[in-house]
Amino acid sequence: MADQPNASLMQTVKKTKLWKSIFRHDFTDTPRTRLQRIFGNVFLHLHPVRTAKDAIRVTYTWGLGGLSFLLFLILVVTGILLMFYYRPASSLAYQDIKDLTFVVTLGGLLRNMHRWGAHLMVVVVILHMVRVFLTGAYKPPREYNWVIGVLLLVMTLFLSYTGYLLPWDQLALWAVTVGAQMAANSPLLGNEGPFRLPFITTSNDARFGLIGGTVIGDATLIRFYVLHCMAVPFLFTIFLCVHLWRVRKDSFSKQTGEKVDVWPHLVSREFLASLLVMVILFVWSMVMQAPLEAEANLNVTPNPSKAPWYFLGLQELLVYFDPWIAGVVLPTLIVVGLMAIPYIDINPKGVGSWAKMGKKKLGPFSLPYPEERPFAVSVFMLGTIMWFVLIFIGVYCRGPNWEWYWPGEVWSYRRLTKLTLVNIPNLWGGLLLASYFLLGSPIPQQVKMVLAQKGGPKAPGLASAALHVGLGMAISVALFVSLLISKNPGYPALSRYPTLFEALGRSTNAPVMSALYGLVQSVGPGVGYTAIGLMIVLVGLGLGGLGVAFGTFKDRMYETLGPVKYAIVIGLLLMMMGVLGKIALRLLFGVKYLISLPMFNLNI
Amino acid sequence: MDQPAPTPPPVPAAASASSSAVPSFQRDLWRWCEEQMGRREFLLKGGWAFFWLFLGGWLLSNLRFLFPNVLYEPTLAFKAGKPEDYPMGISEKWKKTQRAWVVRTDQGFYCFWARCTHLGCTPNWFEAEGRFKCPCHGSNFNKSGDVIAGPAPKPLWRCAVQLADDGQLLIDKARLENRPGPREQGEFFLPYQNA
Repeated sequence: MADQPNASLMQTVKKTKLWKSIFRHDFTDTPRTRLQRIFGNVFLHLHPVRTAKDAIRVTYTWGLGGLSFLLFLILVVTGILLMFYYRPASSLAYQDIKDLTFVVTLGGLLRNMHRWGAHLMVVVVILHMVRVFLTGAYKPPREYNWVIGVLLLVMTLFLSYTGYLLPWDQLALWAVTVGAQMAANSPLLGNEGPFRLPFITTSNDARFGLIGGTVIGDATLIRFYVLHCMAVPFLFTIFLCVHLWRVRKDSFSKQTGEKVDVWPHLVSREFLASLLVMVILFVWSMVMQAPLEAEANLNVTPNPSKAPWYFLGLQELLVYFDPWIAGVVLPTLIVVGLMAIPYIDINPKGVGSWAKMGKKKLGPFSLPYPEERPFAVSVFMLGTIMWFVLIFIGVYCRGPNWEWYWPGEVWSYRRLTKLTLVNIPNLWGGLLLASYFLLGSPIPQQVKMVLAQKGGPKAPGLASAALHVGLGMAISVALFVSLLISKNPGYPALSRYPTLFEALGRSTNAPVMSALYGLVQSVGPGVGYTAIGLMIVLVGLGLGGLGVAFGTFKDRMYETLGPVKYAIVIGLLLMMMGVLGKIALRLLFGVKYLISLPMFNLNI
Repeated sequence: MDQPAPTPPPVPAAASASSSAVPSFQRDLWRWCEEQMGRREFLLKGGWAFFWLFLGGWLLSNLRFLFPNVLYEPTLAFKAGKPEDYPMGISEKWKKTQRAWVVRTDQGFYCFWARCTHLGCTPNWFEAEGRFKCPCHGSNFNKSGDVIAGPAPKPLWRCAVQLADDGQLLIDKARLENRPGPREQGEFFLPYQNA
């Protein structure tokens, strides 16, 4: 040492055991250190050391999975800090949030970051799912990880839901009231659900277990606090570990072309993306206050009472369906359906690149069309878009009393309304539902062969046409004729119109029925009913024609998938389209239920 | 070391002589059992089965833990003043504090619980239209509480109304009825002659 008086201090320090035990290797940019940085560091070692250049292209993944993880970390950190000031008791919680927002130094920023970070995380997680779907990255061997991913999505939403009760403001209270009441409507285990088990009451049903009592109060708040801060993050972390570990084990879906070092090529991209998102989140949180409504009041509901945007799709669904369907069955089917995707989609094409779009001529139009996976991509995107259309309706088209207002239309709390909803008589409704679901039945090859043997080569085609047109006509007749000829069961107690046709024709929420009623009134019953009859036939033929057009496709799908997978696929598809159909029935025809059995609390 | 199945000890001659006392089908059953599963295998599987049953049962039993036995909730009954103080029609006097509407008609009094039968929000009363409208999902009810629009599956609940000894209305939101017929009789309707 003495012969090198000026040997840099740094070099001396670097030779100490302390330094070596922390940093372990030097940082000159050599192939060796690039390797060491990845596998010598616990935080980076989930990365492979080298990866395909194409797999880390920004426009391939948009870094969405990593950003979801980043946002989760931000939420954990800001959440832990918020916990220092927040007390989960109904008499304290709201004041604590006020203190955090207005009195505690940097408290407002932390709260804003926590709230907006949660919103951003929901967006990013959904986009991540769409990205994984469209690049086919869930296909073997990554099916299992897709399922874990769906669970993480569900937990993300559940964390948001449990989180927004905590401020104990009006939004919180009424969201939880509605959510808890959905639990009370679950089949078998809910006090108000269909086929309630005989021993179930308000003080032992699913709602009671969720909110810890029969009314929402302190017990509910502490439950949601524990779920939000402990239980769900714990589960989330476990599933997150599995998710990330499986990404590594299954490797990226794109494994072609040149390989590059993960340090610096991937790590730098991750760093830049994180930086960008953090800047966005900081600016957003400094500019926008997180909403805080009036303190929770168990007696008064804000008008209109809207959930945060990501639950408005669900809230809107609840308008069209009974709570047990919209609140329990449909969400379960959506989640199970999403999880089932990699197991029912056996098409091996389209892995590792965005869905290739071709052009398809349709008359004068030329439509973009996903070439390799036309069915999968169309159905998935239709479902996603439908969900966001529902959110759009909830955000922009619903005003006071949850009535329909066009975007930009001025809200009026005293607007006179003539809303009327009627039930289609059970038998007609049953016919409609049965015919609709029978539209999904294929004509298997064996049946076709038997038909061809017995009735000549044209017989299978004719049978398919007869089946589909018959079902189409049945749907059309069951819908229109039932509404045209039925007496109004609510007359005279609930409605002053003796027939369903008149009741709907004079209401403001059944445009199709009002138009038909207006037609009959203006041109007289003879011409009017003839025109309506023609329309019924045309609608039936149209629906049947649609069935025939998809007939060959269905039969081919049946042959490739086999009966079990086919039944799952067509069942989920028909239910998804059925949701669309029921919404149309409600908005255009003023129909409430197709089947109503009040004694079982069963309404469809 | 690894013996397939321990051979049973040789049966003493005396025992085998007395084995005729054991019915033959019992011996067959025993043999059949041993063929199906040896003693070691039985103990191993039984042990694991017990372990998983206990663990699973204990975890599941904690579901019951989540259902409290004692509740600290406010009473659902309240006194609503003298009947003669109510004007005809629907009174919103108690909505903000007790979540209830007291209704006075030509015949007497009844009381609605101001809770939508759809998902539990508080509807608002619109006098001009004679409708209750719910702000959460758009259910509409008429003056007698029946659903006329929106997703609500059943009529508004009516609370038990009676006259307390001090001449005030006593309303109990824990006793509810909404079926046409029963809801207009008994404790759910207070006619003038009793008021």
